[in-house]
Amino acid sequence: MADLLIQVREVDGVAVVRPEGFINAHTVRQFEAALEAQVRQGRYTILLDCRLLNYISSAGLGAIMGLIETVRANGGDILLCQLQKNVHEIFDTLGFTQLYRVFPTEAEALQCLKGNS
Amino acid sequence: MRAPAEPESFRLVIPSQTRYLNLVTGLAKRASMVAGMDDATSAKISIAVDEAVTNVIVHAYQGEGDHEVDIELRFLPQCLEVHIQHTGRGLKPDEVVLPDPREYVKHPRKGGLGLLLMSRFMDEIRFIETGEGSECFMAKRII
Repeated sequence: MADLLIQVREVDGVAVVRPEGFINAHTVRQFEAALEAQVRQGRYTILLDCRLLNYISSAGLGAIMGLIETVRANGGDILLCQLQKNVHEIFDTLGFTQLYRVFPTEAEALQCLKGNS
Repeated sequence: MRAPAEPESFRLVIPSQTRYLNLVTGLAKRASMVAGMDDATSAKISIAVDEAVTNVIVHAYQGEGDHEVDIELRFLPQCLEVHIQHTGRGLKPDEVVLPDPREYVKHPRKGGLGLLLMSRFMDEIRFIETGEGSECFMAKRII
C-alpha cells in the first residue's frame, strides 16, 4: 500500500482534501501538490479531513503553513476536521489549534462555513 | 565480580533516503511498546525519531541518498534511548534553537518545527560529536 493516498472533492465551493496514511518528508511533496492544485484552481477554502491520516510530521505542517497566508489573503482559509488523537496532539503541541479552526466532523466544518457565507 | 550487563538493544542501518522513514518510525513505535510505553507515548517517540532521521537525511547529508543512517534503540530499565549516528554535517549545540510556539503562532513560517516536536515529545535530546561522525541522542523515561 502507498504511504499516502489523497482524495479531493468539492462541496459547495469548499475543497475537501482527505489524506490517508502518512505525511512525512517522503510524501510531503504529494500533499503539497494536492493543496497547491486547489489554490491554482481558485479554491481558497480548504477543509482537511484527517479521519484517515495516521501521522503527520513537521514536513507536512510546514506544507500547510506555506499556504495559509495565500489562502487567507484571497478570502479563504484552511480548516481541519476529524483529527485522530495523536495527530491532534501534534497540532496542539505546536499551537496550530490556535492558528486553524478544528472541527470534530466534516459536517460541522461545512455547516460553519455555510453560516459564514 | 560480574561486569554490568549491556542493555538490550537493536540497530537498524538505512540508506539516507526518505522512503525508509515509514519503516523506521514503525519500528520505533513497536520498540517503544516493547519497552513498556503506552500507545500515545510510543506514537510520540516515533514522531521524534522521524524528525531526527529526516534532519540527518535532509540537512546533514543534504539529500544525498548514498550514505547511511545508523539507528540504535537501547532498552534500559528506566528509559528507552535512541542513538542516531551519521557521518554528515553535525548539528552544533549552539545551532539548536527551538522556536517559541507562542511566537510561532503570531508569526507563522515554514520550517523549524521538527526540533520543537522532538524536544516536546522526548525527555532528553543531545547532539554529540563522536569523532567518527555525529550523533543525535534522545531518551524517554518509562513511567
